[in-house]
Amino acid sequence: MYPEIIMKHFLNPKNAGKIENPTLLGEFETSSKAKAVFYFKIENGIIKELKFQISGCPYAIAVCSIITELATSKKVEEFKQFSKKNLEKFFEIPEEKEDCINLSVNAFLNGINKYRLP
Amino acid sequence: MAIIYLDNAATTQVDERVLKKMLPFFTEKFANPATKWTSSISKEIDIYVEQARVDVASLIEADPDEIFFTSGGTESDNTALKGVALANREKGDEIISTKIEHEAIIKPLETLEKMGFIIKFVNVDKYGFVDPGEIKNLVSKKTILISIMHANNEIGTIEPIEEIGEIAKENKIYFHTDAVQTVGHISINVKQLNIDLLSLSAHKFYGPKGVGAIYIRKGTKINPFMEGGGQEGGIRSGTLNTTGIIGLGKAAKIAKKEMDFDGEKVKNIRNSLWKKIQEQIPGVFLNGAEMGKRLSGNLNFLVKGIRNEPLLVALNERGIIAGGGSACSAGSKEPSHVLKAIGINTEDFFSEIRMTVGKFNREEEIDIIVENLKDYVKKLRELSPS
Repeated sequence: MYPEIIMKHFLNPKNAGKIENPTLLGEFETSSKAKAVFYFKIENGIIKELKFQISGCPYAIAVCSIITELATSKKVEEFKQFSKKNLEKFFEIPEEKEDCINLSVNAFLNGINKYRLP
Repeated sequence: MAIIYLDNAATTQVDERVLKKMLPFFTEKFANPATKWTSSISKEIDIYVEQARVDVASLIEADPDEIFFTSGGTESDNTALKGVALANREKGDEIISTKIEHEAIIKPLETLEKMGFIIKFVNVDKYGFVDPGEIKNLVSKKTILISIMHANNEIGTIEPIEEIGEIAKENKIYFHTDAVQTVGHISINVKQLNIDLLSLSAHKFYGPKGVGAIYIRKGTKINPFMEGGGQEGGIRSGTLNTTGIIGLGKAAKIAKKEMDFDGEKVKNIRNSLWKKIQEQIPGVFLNGAEMGKRLSGNLNFLVKGIRNEPLLVALNERGIIAGGGSACSAGSKEPSHVLKAIGINTEDFFSEIRMTVGKFNREEEIDIIVENLKDYVKKLRELSPS
């Protein structure tokens, strides 16, 4: 039904939840009211902590979890060009799930693009 | 892992007795009943097919020669709508239906509309009920057909088809009902209900998939949908699906005898499941009619604040198979037309869970279902941003 990596992250998402007083938020909501929020804790251009909350399908949930694993402890700069193409090495993106994956990727990018080096 | 199947409105498990009855007709009794005048084995098979016709007719109190075998509900619906519309065009071009019909009705109606027919839709109230008074108001001299489902597949609401049949009869309009959710589950008397055409499907009542029937009252003016060799009195050409038909006949025979008993059991499990869900999970709301006025196995509810797809996938991981009218979609997928029609709020469109109980479900399953549902609803709500 779903690729193994999606099921793994969906059933046990990593870094789910909120960060109190985050440096910034990345948010995205679709017309059908699916919503994803990333909480960024950034110090000197480095993503120290990244958490998420989501109301969306298993793909969207898993993608949030995968993104937090990819981005934690990395430089914000490294993710300026991030897109769903970067996820293709982990799993095949089915056409009918593109919107779900975009939800999570767009929420993450919304946060990344807000960041300006102090 | 043992499966707890709660999607019996989608399909049902074949009853062992049905399977047993079907099996010889795949192998030693495989001949084509069409050659019954020249082959004794064909004649023997024809006798079984005709017995199936008698059993299906008996289930809905029709005459056997009013039953025509098809490939299932979708074909029966297409036959009824297109067949009656095209055969009665000189009389009129208006058809009345509802906005909560199955796609097997909606799509053929869209096609007929493109062909110039006028489709008038009656509204439903917040429980999914059609108001027969509104149908009366829509009837005109040009109305040739009223097609209203007997019970809704998604929310289980049972429509007042007796009153609708009465209106159709008074106005000399054909009345078709898509009864795939009710045949074999509740008793139907087509004569008493003034039904002219009725669609039924074997796999919704413990028969095999790929076979069904249409009841067409004697004297109904209708064109065939499938044309060819002239089987089924020319109404439905194509070599008979003998194994399927014999399975359908057996399922009908079992249902006639056992549906009241099974219905009680199914209703008790459904009621107790809903009671426990309500007691243990906050923020759940029933969609559709009250318990006495909906299909005995149907539960359809909103789980506020979560989307149905992750919940269904998570339940599936624990061996619990349930349904949702329209799966969660982040993007453009259309929400359930039934939820829209009964006035559910946009933000709840994708929070629908459908659990449909069948005769093979057991009391012991209830606690397992509720425990897992409670667990995942809590987890998904915690994960949700609002």
